[in-house]
Amino acid sequence: MRKRRETAGHETRARGDAGRGEAGRAAARRATNRLLTAHLLLPTIFLTVALAGGVRVEGETRALVFVAPPLVALVLAVLLLALFARGRLVALPRWLSHDHAPLANVSHALTLVALFFASAQAFNSVLPGAGLFRWLFSFFFLWTLWQNLFAATDARRTLRSVVALFGTAFVLTHLLLANLYAPEAGWLRRVAGALVEGATQGSLGGQTTVAPATGYLSFFTLALYVVGLVLLPSAPGGVADGAPRASGVVEDYRRLSAGERDEARAEILRAELRRLEAVSLKASEESETSRDDDG
Amino acid sequence: MRRESLIPTVGIAWTLLYAALVVWLYATAPRTLEELRTQASTAVGTYAVDEARFQSARELFRREQYRAAREEWLRADPARRDARTQFYIAYAFYREGWGRVYSDDALFRQGVEAVDLALELSPDGALTVDDPDLRIHSAAELKAELEQGTETTWGDFNPAKIFRERK
Repeated sequence: MRKRRETAGHETRARGDAGRGEAGRAAARRATNRLLTAHLLLPTIFLTVALAGGVRVEGETRALVFVAPPLVALVLAVLLLALFARGRLVALPRWLSHDHAPLANVSHALTLVALFFASAQAFNSVLPGAGLFRWLFSFFFLWTLWQNLFAATDARRTLRSVVALFGTAFVLTHLLLANLYAPEAGWLRRVAGALVEGATQGSLGGQTTVAPATGYLSFFTLALYVVGLVLLPSAPGGVADGAPRASGVVEDYRRLSAGERDEARAEILRAELRRLEAVSLKASEESETSRDDDG
Repeated sequence: MRRESLIPTVGIAWTLLYAALVVWLYATAPRTLEELRTQASTAVGTYAVDEARFQSARELFRREQYRAAREEWLRADPARRDARTQFYIAYAFYREGWGRVYSDDALFRQGVEAVDLALELSPDGALTVDDPDLRIHSAAELKAELEQGTETTWGDFNPAKIFRERK
């Protein structure tokens, strides 16, 4: 009996050691993946967006045109980054912190710079080439971002709103406007284009014709930008996330109405009760098992 | 080197390299993939003039097909980085634009641009081409000839001018 108990004890310890080893390896893999994402993958994604966002393919000659971000795109990118910071999609104090090694801080700063230029070029890729449409789009972008800056938001909502913003702009620029001004457009679309021009005394026009490849390129750029934002952690590392994330949750809680607060408290209580029940059930099962072994 | 310091180091190097590539692409703005290849080879210092095309352009030049010769020289030196080729292009403009009674100002002006580029590309700002088929060997002399052709002076009304020879 005693021998059997000792053997069982050894097996349990061995299982525990193996489990701890496996857990340690998994944690190391997680840490490596986080480092690779923050220092290599994200800058690559954002720089690719910064590169592709300004590329157009000319309609007639099929030549490549590299359009540097206009001033308005830089202003919009600043506002978007402010929105990211406010929505805690990017927790700036945790990206650039005294706690990090100098190399890590430099790398994080470069990633944030890449994010800024990627944002500017993402706007650049959906802004119409010229004319009043360009100013209308710029104005609506500015208006939307300015409004969002003062709205209650969090990382998920910010991301959704950014996707919706760029998605709408993409559809309007590369599907609606591009078709309206396409040289090979049918007579109906030409009439619609002429009516728009006539009604506005030609001030809406000035659209440069681009090849359909430009639309595909813009789609790819925006998709990559969104992927980059999804992968972007609120803070790099993620190990020391606990306390600031908790403070963020508390901040969100404070913004809720009285009724919503009651609901949130009730939900937390329910979750805690479920967790405690599970813990006590497990403890009783373990005590029963050990009693059986003794018997 | 530990993983925590290796990955950020590689990340910084890679980010700076990639950012430099993006800036270079926007600065040079190649219009085609061929142009991109040419500019890349110029940037890394492996650019060279297509000698076969250069010689075929010279052959066209000898046969007085100046426009075709210029086209061929442009293909031989697509990045316009070779002083000698630009000198020949300027010479082709001179020969084509020269007239016994009057010169073609537009062609001469393009010639001046080409010879200026040739001088700019020359290491010491002076260029001499030893070609027995040419009567002007120095870029400075060719430039002076081209500039004189674009100026209007009293000498232009001299009837004896029709006896001058093309260089």
